[in-house]
Amino acid sequence: MRSARAGGTTGRTLASDTWWICWRELKRLWRQRVRILMTIIQPVIWLTLMGNMFQRMASIPGFPARSYLDYMAPGVITMVTLFSGIFGGITIVWDRRFGYLQKLLAAPISRTAIVTGKMLAIAVQTAAQALIIFGLARAMGVGFAAGALGVPVLILLAVLLSQVFAGLSLTLGALLTSHEALMAVVNFLTMPLMFTSNAMMPLDMMPPWLARVALLNPLSYGINPMRALFLRGWEWAGLSRGVAVLAVTAVAMAALASAMFRRSIA
Amino acid sequence: MSVAEAIVQTDKLTKRYAGGILAVDQVSFEVPAGTIFGFLGPNGAGKTTTIMMLTTLIKPTSGRAVVCGRDVVASPDLVRLDLGYVSQDVAVDENLTGWENLYLQARLYHLPAETLRPRIEELLKTVELDEHARRLVSTYSGGMRKRLDIAAGLIHRPRLLFLDEPTLGLDIQTRTRIWEYIRRLRDEHGLTVFLTTHYMEEADNLCDLVAIMDHGRIVALDSPAGLKARLGGDVITLEMGAPGPRDGLAESMRSLPMVKSAEQGSNGIVRLVTHDGDRAIPSVLEFLGSKGIRVSSVTLKRPSLDDVFLHFTGRQLRENDGGADYRRMAMAVRRARR
Repeated sequence: MRSARAGGTTGRTLASDTWWICWRELKRLWRQRVRILMTIIQPVIWLTLMGNMFQRMASIPGFPARSYLDYMAPGVITMVTLFSGIFGGITIVWDRRFGYLQKLLAAPISRTAIVTGKMLAIAVQTAAQALIIFGLARAMGVGFAAGALGVPVLILLAVLLSQVFAGLSLTLGALLTSHEALMAVVNFLTMPLMFTSNAMMPLDMMPPWLARVALLNPLSYGINPMRALFLRGWEWAGLSRGVAVLAVTAVAMAALASAMFRRSIA
Repeated sequence: MSVAEAIVQTDKLTKRYAGGILAVDQVSFEVPAGTIFGFLGPNGAGKTTTIMMLTTLIKPTSGRAVVCGRDVVASPDLVRLDLGYVSQDVAVDENLTGWENLYLQARLYHLPAETLRPRIEELLKTVELDEHARRLVSTYSGGMRKRLDIAAGLIHRPRLLFLDEPTLGLDIQTRTRIWEYIRRLRDEHGLTVFLTTHYMEEADNLCDLVAIMDHGRIVALDSPAGLKARLGGDVITLEMGAPGPRDGLAESMRSLPMVKSAEQGSNGIVRLVTHDGDRAIPSVLEFLGSKGIRVSSVTLKRPSLDDVFLHFTGRQLRENDGGADYRRMAMAVRRARR
């Protein structure tokens, strides 16, 4: 009856443990459908409001899109991705507070799976959100130059980006065990991350120092190739650079989160 | 080694936290398999720290612990497979149904797909939640949550179940029910149960063996009856009816089986200290009857575990300190989360 597994955690249990941790997160998310609804309503408001508000920006000479809405759509996808990713790690603080984390730790599961499972759930959530926002944006008349094949690439970029911030947030969740402190830090980070990227404003229109900061911001590496897909179609150099930078950063953040988490429970 | 196989064995187990606090100080004890083992102690005595070392959640600073035949530091994964852990916090996910909570637990313990569903049904029946299995845990009462939590700890049929304050803050009925489950699990499945408690009557009713921990050390370990006996034994007080021959009565009663000492007060009342009071009474009465002495009243006073606790720690085991406050806080947080 009792499984007699020898030695430590094998690759197969890492994969299955990751999936079951993810399953829990997705079930919880599904039960709190209001959360999903809000993450969709919010971008719609951004698209309509910002689209209208900044419409005249598009007529500034040198603005790279025919309408601000076209320019904003990938920015909104990025923003929602940022929020989903960076608030994703908060669940680990709740699990700690309610004793659920201890229960997970007393189980014969891979420690890493607790981190990777939560990241996988954030990836799934982000993919769904990005797809919905994409659909809404298209319905509002936003063009998509890359065509149908560009959609999975767009989703891939969003997912990679979400993993970077999920990793960051889980790292913070491992370091800061108080919910209040984590919320404060995360809130402190989101707006600067947003405004030091080119999500809302083209790099050329930024003051030079801000443009330099934007180049260090991982958000820019998601939004540039996304925006190319929307406005101009396939630009292989920028796309491959974006995917590479995001993938490497995501893996590094996942490793960091996992290491910090292991340290926090040691 | 004791006669029965020891399922938990510690040797000078010690935990010193980073701040320098010595939470557990060279503790050595054994838990025989198939017993209900109670861990008593005031808050901060080191009970939870000991449990966390035994369940592989934290590493000892020094010393050794062998649980289910494995060293907790050398092979934590194997130890985890054999033990169930139900913490003080009611660690069930309230955004899942009761069934889903158990399903997830089963998956995390890598139960084969074919055993998983019957096992969940069986456990839901055991804790009488089968009718509420498809409801979200957020609609459960505190007692139902605790029962679900215990069921989750049993999903993989552990040999050893750790229950940290299993009935904290629960009403009497739920508490009695949980005691029944615990006894049944031990009797039917040979499960060893290691529990900590604040409640004396819980330890007294349920436990085969009780260890009292104070300031990071185990100050006493015995059966509840044995611990009480260490305080001297049961006291039988006899009041005589009609006058009769009383001289030397106390002296002659000292030779009776189980009687350790006997004294007679100036008012004629005899006070006996015995090993096993309820068994001693019939032979005492028979003896007095044979002498033609009528007894008008008999009282038996046994030392309670409270007395034992007071004796070994110099403190009363207060029932409602820290733990209850913590629970109130946790409930408040839980409500805030909704």
